[in-house]
Amino acid sequence: MRTRRISFLARTTVQYLVLLILGTAFMVPVIWMLSSSLHDVQGVFALPFKWIPGIWHWENYYRVVTLLPFGRYFVNTLIITVPYMLFMVLSSSFAAYGFSRLRFPGRDKLFALCVATMMLPGQVTIIPLYIMYSKLGLVDTYWPLIIPAVFGSPFYIFLLRQFFLTIPRELDEAALIDGASHLRIYWSVILPQARPALATVLIFSFIGSWNDFFGPLIYINSPEKATLTLGLNLMKTQILGSGVVEWNTLMAASVLVLIPNVVLFFLAQKQFMRGINLGGIRG
Amino acid sequence: MAERIRNWKIVKPNGIDSGVRIMLASVLLVLLVSCGGKKGNDTETPTVTFNCPANALQIKALEKEIPAFTRKTGIVVKLNPFSGEEKLYAMLAADQAPDIFYTNTVVRDKLAAEGYLLDLNTVGKGDPFLSRLRPAVIERGKSIDGGWYSISNWEFTCGVYYNRDVFDQLGIRYPDSLWTWNDMVEIARRLTADSDGDGRIDRYGVFIGSHFVEAFELMNHAPIHPNTILLDIAPESREVYRKYLELVANNIMPDLRRVQAMGMQAQQLLESGRVAMLVEAVPNTNLLEYLTIDVGLAPLPRFDNKKPLYFRSGSGGLSIYAGTKHPRAAWQVLKWLISDADIYRPSPVLKDVDFVNGWFAKYPRLKGSGFEAVWKLSERYNGGDPRYFVRFSSWTSHAILEQFQPLLDQLWAGSISLNDVLAEVPAINKHVLDELESLLQSNNLEPAFAKALRKEHERAKKEVADASAARR
Repeated sequence: MRTRRISFLARTTVQYLVLLILGTAFMVPVIWMLSSSLHDVQGVFALPFKWIPGIWHWENYYRVVTLLPFGRYFVNTLIITVPYMLFMVLSSSFAAYGFSRLRFPGRDKLFALCVATMMLPGQVTIIPLYIMYSKLGLVDTYWPLIIPAVFGSPFYIFLLRQFFLTIPRELDEAALIDGASHLRIYWSVILPQARPALATVLIFSFIGSWNDFFGPLIYINSPEKATLTLGLNLMKTQILGSGVVEWNTLMAASVLVLIPNVVLFFLAQKQFMRGINLGGIRG
Repeated sequence: MAERIRNWKIVKPNGIDSGVRIMLASVLLVLLVSCGGKKGNDTETPTVTFNCPANALQIKALEKEIPAFTRKTGIVVKLNPFSGEEKLYAMLAADQAPDIFYTNTVVRDKLAAEGYLLDLNTVGKGDPFLSRLRPAVIERGKSIDGGWYSISNWEFTCGVYYNRDVFDQLGIRYPDSLWTWNDMVEIARRLTADSDGDGRIDRYGVFIGSHFVEAFELMNHAPIHPNTILLDIAPESREVYRKYLELVANNIMPDLRRVQAMGMQAQQLLESGRVAMLVEAVPNTNLLEYLTIDVGLAPLPRFDNKKPLYFRSGSGGLSIYAGTKHPRAAWQVLKWLISDADIYRPSPVLKDVDFVNGWFAKYPRLKGSGFEAVWKLSERYNGGDPRYFVRFSSWTSHAILEQFQPLLDQLWAGSISLNDVLAEVPAINKHVLDELESLLQSNNLEPAFAKALRKEHERAKKEVADASAARR
């Protein structure tokens, strides 16, 4: 009994130690960012680095919002992110339902093809897509950043399909007996059961869209339509030799950009963790 | 029931709730309203778009100045501050490129050869503005077909920044324009210190980033030509490589691995006192904004009795899109940007601008630092334009550097010898010729470029064959 207890204690200690080391490794850059956002310009690169600044320069945050139309960028990013997220969840879950619940010729091959598109680097399609959106007159609008979500994402389709497979078919069959259509089963039976997986997709797609730099960089031209990531880049870019990067202000801006991600994660943390676990187990 | 599913037979839907329908419709409506772009005004006023790689402060400054320019000229300038090579290529492919955009030498030549850039001679010929530009600025903007495709908006030279307090403490005289490499080594030796006696050096005499070695090759009269097709490590370059490696071997300069391990940028090395002298670009805004120490500035040291060859360089410039609807308006905007826009002032590319005093007005603490002497020497002994960071011809620089740079990195890290690097030169040149051959066969080049490049290719092929015969 005692040996088992010691063994349990040792195992737990090692587990916590590993987690602590990994957690620290992941947290150090975030803490550095937080600390740098409160330093002056010299303090950011001072060696040894002072993790707790001598003087807390809160004015860096004020400078961010006065230097850039931060509120505008925030709203612009929301205009893209919210519909992107909703469309992504709807369309991916819709496709995942088809792949997990319907039987039709070539289904598995189609699913394999869908998953295989994940291997295609995004850069390969930039020019044809840009030409297409340009011909549709959609460049310098938010549409090119939202429309892809309407067609789902292979990764989320895969994730949701795996999760849907864990939901007992008996539930569908009971609904069918009651006269429900596939649309009704999808909406009223599958989706409520799949909340953890949907939360995962919701968070991932939010983070993906919120932090997307490349998409807005390619499609947005007007400064007033910029997103937060483009705004961050505006704090960094400089004309050769004639500009200065204020790293402390840039870090303050980065902290502000990060906040919604963190808030959303904590709000949906419980569902998210369940989604990750269940999706992973069945994968 | 399972049979029904297998047969994919859909029963009559009960439908989704009307509430859900209304919600979906509302989302779509909000999207339609919020996402649409504004339609441009189809007026007679020429609008010139400028893809401006600037930071938020510079954009703000430009936005303030544009209305006055528009009132004066009737030209509307639209800023697009989001730039990137991928974006530019996508815009070019869709014929939606900005009228003015920034190009580095390699991109400029590539785009010019594919017919995307306007030859500035077509709009600028006879313009009195040309007489305001330093001749080197115009030359630098030319490509292999003789066309003129960009104007640099910035120039720099190279100098040695030093910590004056440390020099004063040790009673060392500040370096002047006559100092030599050997003087620099001697001073660096005196500056190097292990103050706590633990056997580890606390302050190194000097630090020269490996990308500045080329400046010393030029000072040692190595034949560095901006249109060099092939890799040639001349004896003068080899001498500089050896001297550079000796700095590390003699413990008066930290090696690159040590600097990386310390996680320091060059300016931090000087500011924190880890080095007493630092070779860097002049002028260098980032450095000046960062340093709080009393800093002096000296020209690069000479090599014994050789005439110094200080340089001026600019690694890119502004180009005009060949498909622009308003070439003359674009030219006017480009001229305004270079000569009058606040973010480029004082402009080092204009002959009639007092750059030194303009810079002193921005950074008063530079007065008496030696900046003026360094800047003026780069004019007086102009060693030309080594196309800093793009030393080789645009057509072959990528092919050379993808093989040469890793070797150089290993050389500076002490993993291989100079002889190992030299042994690889013929193979690199063969690879370069193959790449050039492929480029010529791609048929993407404008005829004038293809002709000029073919000539260069033939010359280079002969050069390689001769070198090979000489080796045999």
